[in-house]
Amino acid sequence: MEEQRYYRVQMIALVFLRVMIGWHFLYEGVAKFLKPHWSAAGYLMQSRGLFAPLFHWMADTPSVLTIVNPMNIWGLMAIGLGLIVGCFTRLASAAGIFLILLYYACNPLLVGYYYSIPMEGNYLIVNKNLVEMAALVVIAVTFNSSYVGMDRILFKLLRKITDGHSFLRVIAGARSSH
Amino acid sequence: MSEDKCYLQKNNSNSGSANALDRRDFLHGVAAVPVLGLFGYAVHKERAYQRAQTAAKTGTTASPGNLPELNVALIGAGAQGSVLLDAMLKIPNIRFRAVCDIWTDYNLKRAISYLSKYNFQANGYEDYREMLEKEKGLDAVVIATPDFWHSRQTVDCLKAGLHVYCEKEMSNTLEGARRMVLAARETGKLLQIGHQRRSHPRYLHCYEKLLKKANMIGRIVTINGQWNRSVQQDLGWPNRYLIPQERLEKYGFKSMQQFRNWRWCKGLGGGPIVDLGSHQIDIYNWFLDARPKAVLASGGIDYYSKESHEWYDTVMAIYEYETSQGPVRAYYQTQTTNGSQGYFENFMGDQGTLVLSESEAGYRGSIYRQPEAPPWDEWVRLGYVSAPKVQMAKRELEINALLDVRESVSPDEHQIPVEFHDPYHKPHLENFFNAVRGIESLNCPAEVGYETAVSVLKVNEAIEAGKRLYFSEDEFKI
Repeated sequence: MEEQRYYRVQMIALVFLRVMIGWHFLYEGVAKFLKPHWSAAGYLMQSRGLFAPLFHWMADTPSVLTIVNPMNIWGLMAIGLGLIVGCFTRLASAAGIFLILLYYACNPLLVGYYYSIPMEGNYLIVNKNLVEMAALVVIAVTFNSSYVGMDRILFKLLRKITDGHSFLRVIAGARSSH
Repeated sequence: MSEDKCYLQKNNSNSGSANALDRRDFLHGVAAVPVLGLFGYAVHKERAYQRAQTAAKTGTTASPGNLPELNVALIGAGAQGSVLLDAMLKIPNIRFRAVCDIWTDYNLKRAISYLSKYNFQANGYEDYREMLEKEKGLDAVVIATPDFWHSRQTVDCLKAGLHVYCEKEMSNTLEGARRMVLAARETGKLLQIGHQRRSHPRYLHCYEKLLKKANMIGRIVTINGQWNRSVQQDLGWPNRYLIPQERLEKYGFKSMQQFRNWRWCKGLGGGPIVDLGSHQIDIYNWFLDARPKAVLASGGIDYYSKESHEWYDTVMAIYEYETSQGPVRAYYQTQTTNGSQGYFENFMGDQGTLVLSESEAGYRGSIYRQPEAPPWDEWVRLGYVSAPKVQMAKRELEINALLDVRESVSPDEHQIPVEFHDPYHKPHLENFFNAVRGIESLNCPAEVGYETAVSVLKVNEAIEAGKRLYFSEDEFKI
């Protein structure tokens, strides 16, 4: 029983972490959605480093921005919702990791590359974005949504439908318990 | 993984069947969903805060609809008259019936032609007395003539049964200003003096909310303010539009030069301290809820020609107030050779500093909290002021030297959220017209304008006297 209680605490901690990250993603999306005329152009224009030409091109090309902006907003909101309610958790985590890597690639915190908007802390190479990304890796490889999350329901429903071998089950992060 | 299995085995054993959904699965499945409710609530609160901030940024003022139309005349269609005209044209239900200006070939023609573009067929007059005789059915007049005409014209208009909006300074003499107050009292007609900041949404916000309700800056101990302007050449005139000498003299001007530059002439205007300082010294009195006890001042014609400039181009004055909270010293300067930092008023209290300006382009409005003052979180939440800018980060970035221990910590800076995009005079004129309609009371009635005139005209006296001059309580009474 001791071992089980200890395990439950771990699971609760992981769910808590997942919900916190989900909240952050969701509000990042909602805030951009509610802000009139929000555009990623400003962030992209400040890009430094290896990928800067690509991001500058994106910022300078209105047709690209019309795709990037809504994708960013709705992507953030979808990831956030997925993480909070624990629905397609592994897919949401992977998408979150991809987005954060994209942001980081746009403005990498390498020595000498400092983002012009002042930051609230002091960072060298690793910033809070990267820490959040690492936390998403943890979420992606554990099965906390099988403990508390919609995936627990989805997982069982899908098992009924697909007889245990579904791509959807993998991206939901559900674990086979056969 | 063994722990993982352990959990799932336990889970499965409880659920009876690995594939069947049971109550436990459902409860665990939706357990995190209530977080969305919490999220929605938090977003709702944040949106309410954002809305309060946006609402505070009025941007414009609007009178209620379906107001009765008022018939209005403008006396004095020069530079200031044009500014007022532009503001009035943005106010609905005002009908322009007449314009009066002694520069008939230029100011008068221009104003009438301008009004015709807005479908107003206004009659033009050189002499306001003729206008008062002929124009029946007027409700109100707006006076924007040189200061030395204000008293006569206002008294005559009030006695003709009209409500009057008169530009500041209400008169170049206290005797003239006193006659205006008495005429308003006798006739029962309204007299608003054009200290337009009294109706400005940002100033009202600061006075009513930041100072009176929230007492954010605590006890005001010192004030400083200024209106600095760059060098300006004398105003000229197109030669083909000369006013005949006889007419100039009839209206009190020696020459066309004097007519165009009356603000610099003794007996006609009061110089920059009256033209500019009057607006801001009026705010000192208003925000302190007090009248000055004494003034000392230094000034002179330091830069311009003394032949064409009779009033001081540079003035520095210090007022002394005795308020219910204690003494206040208030500095004011106006100079006309360098526009550095434009115009603003800076109120310094023991809990914060309020810097504001009528100018949208300049300081607009900031308030700084002293580090030891009570937190302003509530006022930020209510939208009274914006969230603070981070000051320490800036210091760390920009200050490499070790700070002296005697230096105070930088206070947090908050913005006053009220923006205003209409002509500056519009709200004050709206207030006047709505007072005429009986739905508002005047923001700057004659008595208030008189107190300001007493406060400001004394500066010129103090410069001449070369010593501190005291105000007696009786001076402010009529």
